[in-house]
Amino acid sequence: MNSRLDAILFDPISIVPFQLAWGWQRVLQARLLADSSGPEALLLVQHPDCYTLGRGASEQHLRFDPAAAPAPLFRIDRGGEVTHHLPGQLVAYPVLNLSRHGADLHLYLRELEAAVLDVLAVLGLAGERIEGLTGVWLEGQKVAAFGVGARRWISQHGLALNVNCDLSGFGAIAPCGLIDRPVGRLCDWIPGLLPEQVQPLLQQALASRFGLTLRSPTLAERLWR
Amino acid sequence: MPALSSTMTEGKIVEWLKKPGDPVARGESVLVVESDKADMDVEAFQEGFLAAVLMPAGESAPVGETIGLIVETEAEIAAAQASAPSSSAAAVAAPSKPPAAATAPVKPAAEPAPAAKALVAPVAASPATAPVAEMSNATTTAANGRLVATPRAKKLAKQLGVALESLRGSGPHGRIQAEDVERASGQPLSVPRVSEGSSSYAPATAALAGNGASAAGAAGAAPLGQAFGSPGETVAFNTLQQAVIRNMAASLTVPCFHVGYTITTDRFDAFYKQVKAKGVTMTALLAKAVAVVLARHPQVNAAYSEAGMAYPASVNVAVAVAMDDGGLLTPVLANADKTDLYSLSRSWADLVARSRTKQLKPAEYSTGTFTLSNLGMYGVDRFDAILPPGTGAILAVAASRPCVVAASDGSISVKRQMQVNLTADHRVIYGTHGAAFLKDLAALIETDPESLAL
Repeated sequence: MNSRLDAILFDPISIVPFQLAWGWQRVLQARLLADSSGPEALLLVQHPDCYTLGRGASEQHLRFDPAAAPAPLFRIDRGGEVTHHLPGQLVAYPVLNLSRHGADLHLYLRELEAAVLDVLAVLGLAGERIEGLTGVWLEGQKVAAFGVGARRWISQHGLALNVNCDLSGFGAIAPCGLIDRPVGRLCDWIPGLLPEQVQPLLQQALASRFGLTLRSPTLAERLWR
Repeated sequence: MPALSSTMTEGKIVEWLKKPGDPVARGESVLVVESDKADMDVEAFQEGFLAAVLMPAGESAPVGETIGLIVETEAEIAAAQASAPSSSAAAVAAPSKPPAAATAPVKPAAEPAPAAKALVAPVAASPATAPVAEMSNATTTAANGRLVATPRAKKLAKQLGVALESLRGSGPHGRIQAEDVERASGQPLSVPRVSEGSSSYAPATAALAGNGASAAGAAGAAPLGQAFGSPGETVAFNTLQQAVIRNMAASLTVPCFHVGYTITTDRFDAFYKQVKAKGVTMTALLAKAVAVVLARHPQVNAAYSEAGMAYPASVNVAVAVAMDDGGLLTPVLANADKTDLYSLSRSWADLVARSRTKQLKPAEYSTGTFTLSNLGMYGVDRFDAILPPGTGAILAVAASRPCVVAASDGSISVKRQMQVNLTADHRVIYGTHGAAFLKDLAALIETDPESLAL
């Protein structure tokens, strides 16, 4: 319905430390804040083991002492409770000017969920939403978690989709503050599924949901060498 | 509490980034609000000082609730803290689209009436929103002999070459008002303030980003009602006022009747919030709704003529607009039933802009086949309109307000409702025509407003 929007795709090949990707997002957010008509961006990464807490998150959902965390712990500027990132989990950070996408935070979360549902549909899986519990669920297990932050409608953070990651690290937290809801991963439904197979699908789904025409960064737009 | 989503009913204050007493710059983040799994920085739209935090971090507040106060100067902090949170206030800061709302240079004052600006976001106004009374101008008060004038007065003084120092202010505590400058210069204020049926103009309503009510440039308007003259005077009618007189008198020759309907607007309001982001105005939305239904009720679009019942070839919705100089204009949205909402919104913005500068061509204000008059933004709960000559009907739209509603099954709920009142020429339009038209209009607004975007 809307014209295709110019957006830069950043999809580093290596695993990116959380702080680095967070720094990139802030650079991208600052660029859009400075020029709200500039290109939007999509960052697709995997992180090494770490935990992140939303700004309003409760440390009660940690099952470890924050001072002695099993992996680096970051309190970050997004909504939502604690979550866990690790290799084998695809993370997507759209940096969008949400004024171009309805200026509605809930709508934005629903669209992100819809993109993941699209990916699952391509894989022949029937994911679902659970009213009031933002996320994407497969047979009662949460396979994708969401948490976003925005400044002047410029978004950062986004979603994490478990593809073939080790789930034991989730045992150290109550992900998203949910105690009795198990976390799942796609490879338990599709054995052998790899993040690099899912990444193009996720990229495609996000681009089509948000009407983005993805392209590589120009020299000046690069975030790394 | 700003609305960050059309489906957001309350938000949690995650963190105040400023402490009471801290200065805030325009565009600076004041607090972080969370709703669902999304956070948003809420920014101040003018500079000043955070005077009070009425809702601490960790608490949730319904959308529209006052959560903090921002004042203009440090000196006002104590006064703002002392005055009740409910004291009138211009809302500040919300993350949503600043532009329209934020531009109104609303200035808070320290004293009772126009007090500090409340940090809230009025929930999106539909045809409704009882406008928060005027507070635009209050600047601060000088107990200390400092020169105090409203921003508009300052601007006007500059334009008219009036020395503010020479004036005695008529405002609270001697504050110099625009009127004082005007009087001193011997010039009447002649900025035509257009008031039209759109929530985009709410008379200096609490300016709040993103959500409905934007305070138009209503800088000058004092809390007083507007008048064409001063007490004791008799002012000759100007040309525009004479035109109004002719039209009003002509309506007396038309045998009119009225039919009213109460329409529930929750769904319509929600839809408006969605499309507002895309630049759709309430005026365009109402005009479109009326036009679509008129297309199905050609009798209500018809008019009396010497030759017989005249059925216009198109549905042209005129919208009544009051000018400050006494003119009443009815700019026309031609073919409103066949034009998409976005084009209608753009046309309307263009018509209003040009009516302010009196650049409308006759065809742009005289070819309406049906007229819409909306006073909803003033909070009126009902009124009826006088039929413009040459047309068959006019619809008066009042404010949409929360009402306790009993359903036929005996259940009780709170819904937003607005009253509309059709004035029609009974020589052409009969009671059943009017009633059927209103019934369809209500059905569209209540059950299928989304179809207006198609």
